[in-house]
Amino acid sequence: MATEARILPFARPAPRGILWSLFLTLPIFIWSLLMMGFHPGASAEPLSRISGILTALFMTVLFFMMMRTRSTYRWRRIFFVSLGVLFPIGFIHNLVVARGTMGIPIEEMIAGRTPFCFMPIPILILPAALTKTVAFPGSLAGNSHGIAIMVGLWLAFTLVLGKGWCSYACFFGGIEEGVAAIPPRAKIRKLDPRWRLVPWAVLLAMVLLSLALFEPAYCMWLCPFKAVTEYVAARNLLGLVQNVIFILLFAGLVIVLPFLTKKRTQCSWFCPFGAFQSIFNKISIFEMRIDKERCHPCLLCQNACPNLSLSKESIARGETLISCMKCGACVDVCPRQAAVWHIKGTQIAWKPERARLMFLYSAWALAVMFGGTIIAGSVYTILHFIV
Amino acid sequence: MKLRATLGYTAAAITILVALLTPFLLTGLFAKGVLALGLHVDDVYSGGPKVRAIPMGAYSIDVHRPVYPHLLQSEKPFVQLDWTPVSALPRHVSDAVDIDGDGLPDVRVTFDVPQDPKAPLRVDVESLNPHYQAMQNAGKDKFSRLIVRVDHAKDTPGDDVILVRIPLGNP
Repeated sequence: MATEARILPFARPAPRGILWSLFLTLPIFIWSLLMMGFHPGASAEPLSRISGILTALFMTVLFFMMMRTRSTYRWRRIFFVSLGVLFPIGFIHNLVVARGTMGIPIEEMIAGRTPFCFMPIPILILPAALTKTVAFPGSLAGNSHGIAIMVGLWLAFTLVLGKGWCSYACFFGGIEEGVAAIPPRAKIRKLDPRWRLVPWAVLLAMVLLSLALFEPAYCMWLCPFKAVTEYVAARNLLGLVQNVIFILLFAGLVIVLPFLTKKRTQCSWFCPFGAFQSIFNKISIFEMRIDKERCHPCLLCQNACPNLSLSKESIARGETLISCMKCGACVDVCPRQAAVWHIKGTQIAWKPERARLMFLYSAWALAVMFGGTIIAGSVYTILHFIV
Repeated sequence: MKLRATLGYTAAAITILVALLTPFLLTGLFAKGVLALGLHVDDVYSGGPKVRAIPMGAYSIDVHRPVYPHLLQSEKPFVQLDWTPVSALPRHVSDAVDIDGDGLPDVRVTFDVPQDPKAPLRVDVESLNPHYQAMQNAGKDKFSRLIVRVDHAKDTPGDDVILVRIPLGNP
């Protein structure tokens, strides 16, 4: 039986027509305006309006380019790097305005005002399940930094994206993806595949340590992004040591190694949340596959993958590894269109563009809602300083 | 194969629907689900539930239930006392407090209340019952041994407190 994939030529697909691309982009434009607060009853403050419209246009133009060029990775990367760079600006500004420092004073912890990000979710599950206690100095209900809201957001996103969270929602990964994009070629090319197991080891260690010590051990000791968000106020030698660890991990895993390897090394080799999130790729309906009949293993996809989610063995099986975060780099680089977007249950390489579109509508809607809102907030902060 | 493909596309369409419902419905719904689990923030951070209030005229002292840390937690057992509201406190506080409610004072707590809410605080605790440890010139040493001013005003106006955590000794 000849499938459509067998009939398709190997040449790169031609760009989509402008009008058809605009038509496909229209829902995202409307959605972006809605998410940026352009609805009845929304704030009419001029700066808020300007930052909202700029962000809505930014997200819409990137989606249009995805439609027009039929490629995903580079446009998604522009959004993701912008999110990674702008998030700390807005976040640090809010911290300094609210409490005058990036350090978390003990009073704020006692008051339950420590902002809760998604990173500690996996390490807090076991203590919560066993004792109904959340080992985190935050607030369960309440504001946008509340634990319940963040967990609710994460659950909804995970149902849609699986590990795609790490490409379309994480507000940290963009920093290293941006650094990795700077050098034209990798200085270190040979990477031991066993490093991929480290995030699982970190996850296991942090889960057990958090259960034993009843504290968010990862946040207290190992999170590299404390260097650019908030950290434990260095009241004593212990606090000083913690902050030195944060800075060294950030410098090594988020700056130096991505520059040398052109990979997202913190995500690939360290992040326990990323390892945990990989499990949810099993329930996600979208995945990347390799059409074995088209593939002549040139390994371009393996080299392009920023997360080391392809190996010779997995390519031979026609699959990505469980850590695949659906960024689209492998699809965009494949000269034979063997790497494809895929909906589970359907035939491999049968209408892959349809699978890509269905995934992108879901992923981009959430990217606009979460990352877009963060970007708009940071743009507002910047405009506030300029104007 | 056709059935599996149909199911696959149906699931993909539902996924788009889930994405569209996330900001309006699902995040709030899941958050309510999390709240319905009956979880609470660890008492080492929150100080544990209040058990009674001791009226002291213009202000009062709230006594919390003693907090016993988990197995390998680095903190010691402690009890939290809240002086509230701060605006009603005299410049110098020296109160004998009956923590366990047996009619006898258990500790005498002494501290100054500076005008500047951000000024560092120091507390002396004299132990009148061996179940509670004495503290000299303590500041923000540990979660189980401290004096801090917590400004709850951001959440509930007028609810600022000075709280003292006193480590428990052997009974």
